[in-house]
Amino acid sequence: MSQSLWDKCLGRLESELTQQQFNTWIRPLHAVEEGDQLRLLAPNRFVRDRIHENFLQRISEIMGGDGDTMVRISLEIGSSSIEAPVPQQSPVRSPAQTFNHGGGAPAPSQNRGITLNPNYTFATFVEGKSNQLARAASSQVAENPGEAYNPLFLYGGVGLGKTHLMHAIGNRIREKNPNANVVYLHSERFVADMVKALQRNAINEFKMYYRSVDALLIDDIQFFAGKERSQEEFFHTFNALLEGQRQVILTCDRYPKEVDGLEERLKSRFGWGLPVAIEPPELETRVAILQSKATLSHVDLPQEVAFFIAKRLRSNIRELEGALRRVIANAQFTGRPITMEFAKDALRDLLALQDKLVTIDNIQKTVAEYYKIRVAELHSKRRNRSIARPRQVAMALCKELTNHSLPEIGDAFGGRDHTTVLHAVKKIAELKETETKIGEDYANLIRTLSS
Amino acid sequence: MASLQQLPLALQLRDSALLENFIIGGNENLLYNLCNGSEQYIYLWGEQACGKSHLLQALCHRAGIHGLTSAYLPLGHAELNEPDILDGLESLDLICLDELEHIAGDPDWEVALFHLINRLRDAGKRLVIAARHAPGKLGIGLPDLESRLNWGVIYQLATLGDADKLIFLQERAAQRGLQLGNDVAEFLLKRYPRDMASLFELLDRLDKASLAAQRKLTIPFVREFL
Repeated sequence: MSQSLWDKCLGRLESELTQQQFNTWIRPLHAVEEGDQLRLLAPNRFVRDRIHENFLQRISEIMGGDGDTMVRISLEIGSSSIEAPVPQQSPVRSPAQTFNHGGGAPAPSQNRGITLNPNYTFATFVEGKSNQLARAASSQVAENPGEAYNPLFLYGGVGLGKTHLMHAIGNRIREKNPNANVVYLHSERFVADMVKALQRNAINEFKMYYRSVDALLIDDIQFFAGKERSQEEFFHTFNALLEGQRQVILTCDRYPKEVDGLEERLKSRFGWGLPVAIEPPELETRVAILQSKATLSHVDLPQEVAFFIAKRLRSNIRELEGALRRVIANAQFTGRPITMEFAKDALRDLLALQDKLVTIDNIQKTVAEYYKIRVAELHSKRRNRSIARPRQVAMALCKELTNHSLPEIGDAFGGRDHTTVLHAVKKIAELKETETKIGEDYANLIRTLSS
Repeated sequence: MASLQQLPLALQLRDSALLENFIIGGNENLLYNLCNGSEQYIYLWGEQACGKSHLLQALCHRAGIHGLTSAYLPLGHAELNEPDILDGLESLDLICLDELEHIAGDPDWEVALFHLINRLRDAGKRLVIAARHAPGKLGIGLPDLESRLNWGVIYQLATLGDADKLIFLQERAAQRGLQLGNDVAEFLLKRYPRDMASLFELLDRLDKASLAAQRKLTIPFVREFL
């Protein structure tokens, strides 16, 4: 089968389906062509079923369209990219073994955890009053895994650095002992792994694997809540690891006892070691975090800009990071250095963080206030300049800041014609250039209305 | 000329959202980042019909050209009614989630999305999310999710100025085989609501009317029809 056959099929489908159908259902398919067989891999059951119901027949028709080639098409859940074939297993024979991670061969045990993030180290962790204790405890655990505090239970709100510390411990353990089997994973992955193991009757392998690691790092264990079978399995894993003096590190959004839906025996065991809290960082720490992240990105971030961002974003580090990324992205795009003005501009919409709802009413009120006249005067027939000029400014602002039609805008100003609005818009555009005062007024009003 | 059978084809043509036919307006920076940046996750928000879906679908199209797998998931779509649709998506190269506001406040969806974001991050796969509002204004119930939504580079999609809207109207009209002169386009912008959703709808109606009447789009025709 020629490689381009599936591509041709894609081309046909793209022209036959709506763009949304194509992008939603067909693009996620991964196609593997082998001889006269076409294996279509869908990322999940949902996509597979939809393809099966709505598109498979058409795909078969198109693929068989040339007549002389008989193409066998199979549709499975899986991906050929994320789980590579396991070296020690027999070479590609059964599709399930190679491709199907939705329920088939056991996953290669070495790949189970997620790779530790090399950027999350103690060196890149910014210490402050809010996280001092957590950092100190983590550092001790990293130096003496399995001995100092077991389990180490880091808890606190979102985006405060729990995961960073956890990775830092893992990285340090590996640094000291490159052969150490350190496994980091999110609690969801543990649950998913267990479910898969149960489905494929490989629960013993699952147990053996998790009970044999040197350090087990599980993030966000509050997501174990309500998952009783996983909790039970984790309970035994936990006990086995502790007995073998292997290190267990857990993070959670709250103190162990406060997690609803978690078995009592787990709660009490989580409290055996050292539960340590991370608090939201204070201003100076937030500034230091920004500067550390900027340095990591090889960006020069002036102190005053760091303070500016840190003062406005207080709740968590992810928001700080997001804001910094936005500033850096703008700087990369424009090639300009990061100054106060630049940062303010880059973060304008982010810091306002509210949809700017500018209405005609609002504009009229603001303009009237600005020129110290009454809103009713904007609606009136009066034509002396002290009223007419603000009215024109208000109309021009309505045209610029709202999507109302010109007749609607005219209506809102005492039932005026749309040509009056048009005249106002032109007049103000002209005056902005020739009269500094009007230019300033206009800029001030825009600023007031859009922040 | 314009038989009914030709209609679907015409509809097809005008639907194709490409980066090439996206009117950039004030969004150069965002577009640059989407196309050249190395950001793993970008969040964009803006008013209805300001081009979010267009951008997301164009990104999927572009990924396809580069031989990458992708998925475009408009979460408000009736077909995508179960959070299971998010399973296993980390096996794809690019995920575009549109209309995020539709799942905000639904605990099952929020947890599923939270997990998906973690998996995509771990797998280093690209994620682009679009919504009507900024993450903090969506009414997300799960703080873990909200903080992750805030992690990326967040852009508010700039709405088009009238000059760009004029170009937009003319290009969309041209895609449908309609000729929309400057005078008519200006006439429309002066007399009708200028938000993109209304302009889309207006063009739709004019398209059908001119087809039915077999007349060109002139000011007298538009005035008469509207």
